[in-house]
Amino acid sequence: MKIRLTLNGEKITLDASRSDSLLDILRRAGYTGTKRGCETGDCGFCTVLVDGDAVKSCIRPAARADESAVETIEDLGTQADLHPIQAAFVDNAALQCGFCTPGMIMRTKALLAENPDPEKAEVREALSGNLCRCTGYENIVSAVADAADRLAAGDRSDAATDGGRQRKQCTACDYEGVQE
Amino acid sequence: MSRPDGPSGDQNAKSTSSTEPGSADGDTPDDVSSAAGRDAVSTAAEKRDARKIVTGEAKYTADYGGQFPDLAEAAVRRSDIAHGVVTDIDTSDAEAIEGVYAVLTPDSAGMPDGPYTSAGQSYPEPSPWDLRVLRRRVRYVGDPIAAVAAKDTDTARAAARAIDVTYEERPAVFDPDAAVSEDAPRIHDPDAVENVQSGADYDRNVEAHLAGEIGDVEAAFAVAAERDDRSVVETTWETPYQSHCVPEPHTTIARRDEDDRYHLVSSTQVPYHVRRQLAHLFDVPIRDVRVTKPQIGAGFGSKQSMVIEPIALALAIAADRPVKLEATRAEEFHAMRFRRPSRGRIRSVVTDDGDLQAIDMSVTTNSGAYGPHGMTAAVSVGKKPLPLYAGTPNLRLDATAVHTNLPVAGAMRGYGAPQGHFAVETHIAEIAREIGMDPIAFRRRNLIGEGDVETASAILKSGDGHGRRIRSCGIDECIERGKAAIGWDDVDQPPEDHRHRACGVALATQGSGIPGDELGAAHIKMNEDGSFILQTGAVDLGTGADTVMAQIAAEVLGARPEDILVQPSDTDVSPFDYGAYASSTTYVTGQAVRKAATEARDQLFAVVARLLDEPVDDLVAHDRAVHAESSGSSVTLEELGYASIYGDDAREQVMGEASYSTDESPPPFAAQFADVTVDERTGEFEVHELVCAVDCGAAINPDLARGQITGAMHMGYELAAGGELTFDEEGRPNVAGFRDYGMPRTADQPPLTPILVETHEPTGPFGAKSVAEVPTNAVPPALSNAIRRAVDVRITDLPITPEKVKSALDQRRESADDV
Ligand code: FES
Ligand code: FES
Repeated sequence: MKIRLTLNGEKITLDASRSDSLLDILRRAGYTGTKRGCETGDCGFCTVLVDGDAVKSCIRPAARADESAVETIEDLGTQADLHPIQAAFVDNAALQCGFCTPGMIMRTKALLAENPDPEKAEVREALSGNLCRCTGYENIVSAVADAADRLAAGDRSDAATDGGRQRKQCTACDYEGVQE
Repeated sequence: MSRPDGPSGDQNAKSTSSTEPGSADGDTPDDVSSAAGRDAVSTAAEKRDARKIVTGEAKYTADYGGQFPDLAEAAVRRSDIAHGVVTDIDTSDAEAIEGVYAVLTPDSAGMPDGPYTSAGQSYPEPSPWDLRVLRRRVRYVGDPIAAVAAKDTDTARAAARAIDVTYEERPAVFDPDAAVSEDAPRIHDPDAVENVQSGADYDRNVEAHLAGEIGDVEAAFAVAAERDDRSVVETTWETPYQSHCVPEPHTTIARRDEDDRYHLVSSTQVPYHVRRQLAHLFDVPIRDVRVTKPQIGAGFGSKQSMVIEPIALALAIAADRPVKLEATRAEEFHAMRFRRPSRGRIRSVVTDDGDLQAIDMSVTTNSGAYGPHGMTAAVSVGKKPLPLYAGTPNLRLDATAVHTNLPVAGAMRGYGAPQGHFAVETHIAEIAREIGMDPIAFRRRNLIGEGDVETASAILKSGDGHGRRIRSCGIDECIERGKAAIGWDDVDQPPEDHRHRACGVALATQGSGIPGDELGAAHIKMNEDGSFILQTGAVDLGTGADTVMAQIAAEVLGARPEDILVQPSDTDVSPFDYGAYASSTTYVTGQAVRKAATEARDQLFAVVARLLDEPVDDLVAHDRAVHAESSGSSVTLEELGYASIYGDDAREQVMGEASYSTDESPPPFAAQFADVTVDERTGEFEVHELVCAVDCGAAINPDLARGQITGAMHMGYELAAGGELTFDEEGRPNVAGFRDYGMPRTADQPPLTPILVETHEPTGPFGAKSVAEVPTNAVPPALSNAIRRAVDVRITDLPITPEKVKSALDQRRESADDV
């Protein structure tokens, strides 16, 4: 069957079988930044945004994603032009092997869109579906707080998630305010 | 910045640099003894893969799949019974499924059938060769019997399920004590195993047995029996199976390449050992195998074992196309490798003054069905922690590795030491209570220190001359800083009478590589723009090893870490390396990098001496230039890059290479603290904080070092109070996924405070020792000790649960009522 998505702001149609998950079709289409750690919805490595909500793509049937706006890690910044959340993860040493990182960042993006200034406990609660084996979580929690500050220092309205359409503006403005 | 048309300025002219030296007092960068004189190695340089990780561009093994249009996916059919013989395998239904390219069984043509070990150790492996790639004789629920390659994962899995397996079941045994009894079922046939380990006795399911003694332990106990000023203390302990929970499941892409060689892209910690082991198994020359390590989603020891590579390669040969085999999470939880369960007993003799006279430790580990790392990990349960109290005149260690019909234990971060530290550090706490001494004062009195020569780590070696001199030891400062951070001296009791708060402490040590059994090597060459390309066999599993290697080279060459490009490990390209295990990478491969970079720097100095007409002795490298100290003139690395390659008179490629091996393995030290409140009505406990102060020598890249400490404490906390793999009465795993297993999440991971206590290890690169394993070791005993101090019950079997605390409290009350 054909799945029509707005993927990172672009209209795209992907082939899927009935048993395919959203994760399967994304990875097959080359969006390999989204990781597979369990296929049962328990690790969070496959987290993407679907219509702005953080979703574990391994347990979202591809068919159900038809006609939705999907945003993956590939839509955030580039290595030279990091999105503020990505920059916060780098600067807070919030990663080691990095296998959990794209999912953590997408989860963080959804959290901060909804709650731009979360308490530490709220961060821990919001990330509790995303496992990390390497860091002990300390620096990840700090990175999320730092990302909130960076976004607040930029233009708040651009932090909203819309499947990526406004992202470029958002990144651009955050750069001036926050980066280096 | 590089420019296509050459460096700025006249490359042959003397340029007088106004840049002040970055390193203090003109110390040459590789000859410093304190952080004050270090430059690149002491910065929290950005992890070199950080940006590609956060953009999702870092490529792990599975992400390479898209490069192979004809890639097949694979699945493995595993035993559903714990013990027996496969009498029939009917693959006809599987083969009939459309899109199935190959179905392999133990009897398939070309299937390797010789025994091997998955251990991923240096040659000859101490582990027994007791495995076959696919198995008719099955010894645990999860043994691989058949494998399928097909057009996609769904098809491969469907075909694997469609294989009809008939078994003749045999009685199974799951408890290590039961396994050694006369009438227990025999799990291995000694004639089918090549085992060089000592004390193997397959008639009693004993994989290995070793014992060693220093002094005369029995005599010390005899004296204690006679004298009033001696106490004898005895404790027991037990630890469970623990999963590494590697984030990236074991994944391999295997293929025959255009040169008719076997090429594997694999999530491995030991590319060179995998290459050798595969060449042996498939009976081809080593040169015909290439193993490439891409980005790795962590290892923690699980990827030291060669678990899936042989199956993937056999399928690639049979299907005649690239094959990707990616373990499922359920397989990760029962069919890969685990931390081995342990149990045992410690007795000791102590004087009323608090002097340890004797420690007698016996250990039984459960290897599960096969023997990788069985003997070496079992003895490590004693050998790793005992050096803390190496001044004890009489020491005995007796270690037995036993087979059961449960999953296969392997190497895991700490390698026996977490089990051993739980045993020893809860025991030490009990001794202090017994003689009424403060637990820290008692430890201090018996603790190892700088300048000591300890033999405990060589307790199993016969003869003298195995002493290890301790050249750096910051454990006193670790204790002090940890105490201050946790608030040891001022614990506020909660207002409720039934809640009690206390801190617990436990100390830890480890090694830095396997003494006399490591090799690291490095090659570094200069580019025109003053940057360098560094090749090492060091295997960065996500730890940041490549960043550390770059920092070491940068320190020597006066470059910035980002001027050193590090190539990932690939057996065709990288110099040899034993791989990432035993806390060896920084200490061993780091020294190879330092030596190679020094060789390159010497070549640079020769060029500069010519250019500036200055004596080599007067030259130093820092701030991306080589400086003549007396005259103050300097040449930038970029100018040197061009001058060395395009110079008018002499031209040469500046490049250095070096190997490094050593008999040294200096111990890092750590003091672990836990702050806990226990509810004496329910047994529930809340861990407020875990603090670990670590002496890792000089901390190369403090950010990365702290990350190792917090990550290790997380894993230690799981062993202490979280995850446990259990099995039903048929030996089937109760844990199939993360939701069945108590890996701490953000919401339930107690806060973790890492502290770096820097010392200078003279044998290490820029004073460094290891850091990644030692903080894994002491969370369980620190937590057990804290609970003991809070509510006066001792939990001796892990994980510590509210139910166990409650039942211990109930028992204590009952026995108090009886009095
Ligand atoms: S892969 Fe989706 S939650 Fe684990
Ligand atoms: S960085 Fe490795 S799992 Fe989070």
